[in-house]
Amino acid sequence: MASAPWWRIGWRNLGRNRRRTLITALGLAIGYFAVVFMVAWAEGLQSEMIENGTGLLTGQLQVHASDYRPERKIYDTIGGRDGADVEGLVRAVAADPAIAAATPRVYAGGLVSSGEATTAGILMGVDPQREPDVSRIMRGLVRGRIPSAGANEIMIGEEMARQLDADVGDELILVAPAADGSLGNDLYTLAGVFRSGLAELDGSYALLPIGSLQTLVALAPNRVHEIAASTTDPWLADEAADRLAGALARLTRDLEVEPWTRLRPEMMEYVRLLEGWYVIVIIIVFAIAVFGVANTMLMATFERRREFAVMLALGTTPWRVTSTVLAEAFSLGLVSLLVGGAVTFPLLVWWHNAPPDLSWLYGDFTMFGALVRPVLRVEYNAEMAVRTAVALLLTAVLASLYPAARAARVPPADTLSGL
Amino acid sequence: MARLALRNLRRQVRRSVLTAAAMIVGGALLMISLPLGDGTHEDWIDSAVRMGSGHIAIQAPGYQASRKIEDRLSDSARRAAEVGLEAPGLREHIVTVKPQLAVGGLASSPTGARPAQIVGVDPVAEAAFSILDEKVVDGRYLEPDDRLAAYVGSGLAEGLELRLGSRLVLTAQDADGEIAGQLVRVVGIFRSGVPEIDQALIHIPLSTAASWLGSGGDVTTIAVLIDSSRRMPRIRRALRRELAGEIEAGSLTVMGWREAMPELDAAVKIDDLGNYMFQGILFGIIAMGIVNTVLMSVMYRKREFGLLQALGLTPRQTGGLVMVEGLILTTLSGIIGISLGLFITWFFWRDGLDFSFAWDEDWTFSGVVMDPVVIPYFRIARVIQGLVFILIVGVLASLYPAFRATRIDVAEAMKFER
Amino acid sequence: MTRTRRLLAAFLLVLVPTAAHGQESARDIIDQVDRILRGESSHGIATMEVVTENWERSITMEVWSLGTEYALVRITAPRSEEGMATLKAGDDIWNYLPRVDRTIKIPASLMMGSWMGSHFTNDDIVKESRLIEDYDIDYSFEGERDGVEVWEFLLTPKPEAAVVWGRIEYQVRKHDLMPTWARYYDEDGELVRTLTFSDFRVMSGRLVPAVMDLRPQDKPGERTKVRYGSLEFDIDIGRSFFSLRALRSVRR
Repeated sequence: MASAPWWRIGWRNLGRNRRRTLITALGLAIGYFAVVFMVAWAEGLQSEMIENGTGLLTGQLQVHASDYRPERKIYDTIGGRDGADVEGLVRAVAADPAIAAATPRVYAGGLVSSGEATTAGILMGVDPQREPDVSRIMRGLVRGRIPSAGANEIMIGEEMARQLDADVGDELILVAPAADGSLGNDLYTLAGVFRSGLAELDGSYALLPIGSLQTLVALAPNRVHEIAASTTDPWLADEAADRLAGALARLTRDLEVEPWTRLRPEMMEYVRLLEGWYVIVIIIVFAIAVFGVANTMLMATFERRREFAVMLALGTTPWRVTSTVLAEAFSLGLVSLLVGGAVTFPLLVWWHNAPPDLSWLYGDFTMFGALVRPVLRVEYNAEMAVRTAVALLLTAVLASLYPAARAARVPPADTLSGL
Repeated sequence: MARLALRNLRRQVRRSVLTAAAMIVGGALLMISLPLGDGTHEDWIDSAVRMGSGHIAIQAPGYQASRKIEDRLSDSARRAAEVGLEAPGLREHIVTVKPQLAVGGLASSPTGARPAQIVGVDPVAEAAFSILDEKVVDGRYLEPDDRLAAYVGSGLAEGLELRLGSRLVLTAQDADGEIAGQLVRVVGIFRSGVPEIDQALIHIPLSTAASWLGSGGDVTTIAVLIDSSRRMPRIRRALRRELAGEIEAGSLTVMGWREAMPELDAAVKIDDLGNYMFQGILFGIIAMGIVNTVLMSVMYRKREFGLLQALGLTPRQTGGLVMVEGLILTTLSGIIGISLGLFITWFFWRDGLDFSFAWDEDWTFSGVVMDPVVIPYFRIARVIQGLVFILIVGVLASLYPAFRATRIDVAEAMKFER
Repeated sequence: MTRTRRLLAAFLLVLVPTAAHGQESARDIIDQVDRILRGESSHGIATMEVVTENWERSITMEVWSLGTEYALVRITAPRSEEGMATLKAGDDIWNYLPRVDRTIKIPASLMMGSWMGSHFTNDDIVKESRLIEDYDIDYSFEGERDGVEVWEFLLTPKPEAAVVWGRIEYQVRKHDLMPTWARYYDEDGELVRTLTFSDFRVMSGRLVPAVMDLRPQDKPGERTKVRYGSLEFDIDIGRSFFSLRALRSVRR
């Protein structure tokens, strides 16, 4: 018989037992979906955690004077006592391609008092314009509004408001040891109350415009403690930090530029833990897939041994027979991918844009200082999707090697004579 | 019917074995991952409750929110609670009970002063309960005869330049609201790995704290550790019943760990969810494999079925036969798989599976330091869950082939020589 | 504030018509000081100069005290802090901030590191127990130093005294019982800080050291120096004086 192209034969063979093909393909498709989905979900969980953890207050990258951490003394401003060109530094940081936004900050420890009730707090001077692009704490506003730049207005957490029995519009007194040794004190209006969900923040932080805090603690306008930045992608923070360390060294000495991976190492630990799991999941799923394909192909070839015997008798080379089977397996892989893709991608897109609510399962909780919402979040990972597809095809082919080899070794005479 | 099914299966050894193999692997994997998963959760919960206030915490109402010494359990409330815990039905499940008197204050040395969380503990109970005593890096934990002893964190020791034997003065507001100072000496320094704890936590003997603060027999918390975290709701209910009088009078509350640590609860649930999803997908794949092989066998035995029907077997019975075959196959292989999985887990890892290949040092999760060695936790409930799950999968996978079997046309079947 | 009272109580030897002291034990000498100001009232004006590595400043304050329970300190200079006052009544502490014309109550648990930015700690200020209660006092030297006859005392903490020092050493002039210096050591025998007394003069009929200088050992160049401009004893004030109203506007 005229030797038809082996791949066409393979394809046609698949069609001969459509049901079986479909079912096997379905199995493989589920495998594909499993891997891609699990990776997407794991990355979603990671991103959620990292973004919430760093995006709430820390930011994905921070610049300080090298001796600022861990003591956090009020005198250790960027550039030391002489201060620095803050705007220049902020611009330089924001200019980096991986950085989305940057903002300056000032910190001081002090007391917040409503007169009768007094509580210790961390006073944080922020730029109301730029801060929301770097951290989300101001977005947690539940009452009132954000303090206006230059005004004596502050924003405190819900827990602190409760302890002070204060509400929007009330007058609060801030007292803090100033950088010149005096006791800085002044009156402020409570402009807004925020809720982050984290007890530490809601009970200890008071946010006010950076200029107002500098005045309170006798720091010149060119003295700040920190420049915080958000990145376009949390995973770019490390390289951005390295680049910026070099770039900023030209502007000011004795700086330290730290990405979140070094500021919050516990998050990296969790990421690595999740990655350990991917590997195990993938191995198991593919093992099953191999098994399924091998099984099917084995049965198929056994079933069609007569056909192969005929082919061999008619002069088809064993290699051709083998490649027929392999082609069949390959086609099977392709079909599975099609089915798998058809199910996976729309689902991913849907869930990426409208994460299903999991609050029936659990409520908000905190992990690594991040508030994690009970939603099923998935992230795209095109690389993984492609790699999985390739692996699937390879697996299909590899799994059918043995059956294919056997098909070619069918002794034609015996086969044709009896069974 | 069953005998026929069995005989059929035996005749198709190779096919049966292949199908069974898939199910066995699946069952085994199920029974490996579930106990390990449960073991991990038990570990998380155990570590967390030991570092915190136990599976069940008895406190004065309002203490959870205020954390102030004014909201403490009076001596009588404490005694009532202790009596309650001795009740039959409760006593046998309780592993350890530890009382604590906690206060926020100042720790001073010649170097300076730092804010500190000072906790008066019963050294014996505390050592049995928490793992803080094992985190010692210098010196030792508190002992029953200690009086003016303190067990401090390495962060605090560094900040105040403390060594073993160093003088430390604790200052706080006592039960009357007055400032009171107390001398203690460092007998041990620990490192928990959690910065907030290492920089602020100090353990001193409960009797010393009581005399310093003038609080008599009062305590701020009674923490209870029970034998299994799953039993907590039942025990809490029983305890609440025992102490109904005191609870009504407003002198104490009984709280479980899920309320005290909701993030732990959530973390366990998420992990379980991930595990279930994974199992679901795994069995989806296996099911596909089974459908395939069973279907194939049906197709292959068309002639045989045709013959049987000609001999009087109804289509429904044919279908039933296939179902039974499928069921027997999956059940048997399921049982084998489950047993295999349980055996493997028990044999290799009953003393713990060391996960340090996946992550290299202890890390903190919600403020609790995790141990990389996972000890599997075997539960009958899980085995039954697994069996039922496999059965369901088996039934579902056999449905379509059985359906096809009922549709065999006798005449057609007999026609071809295959 | 109580700091004044306490330090004076510790070191002020008020036997101005100096009595025969040779036979008195160390304990008596120190205790006499303590007891004299116990239950007594005082009013003084002092200037405090603080030098740290980051800044230098000088404030002038007016101080009233009654026993160990009540004290009022009001800052009179510099201009920027004039009127700032602290009231201690029992275990409550209030601060008046003239700049914003507000009074805030500070729970004792929110003590901020050092007192008023100086090298004195809150421990020095707030604690009310007496030296002789917390320490065993012994003579460690008797003789001549730099041409002056002095005693030197060694104060070792009693076994359970709630104090941070390993030991304290004092030098006291024999002829007028004026302290010249006090050295504070930790338990390893390391000197942690030194307090020197000078400018002895008679105020309100008593001989007192008008200048006290505290220097930390680990930060050379830093110091806190307190100079008394005037000091009166046995003034006519009662508890009612130490009120919130007095905090805001003291006219005396």
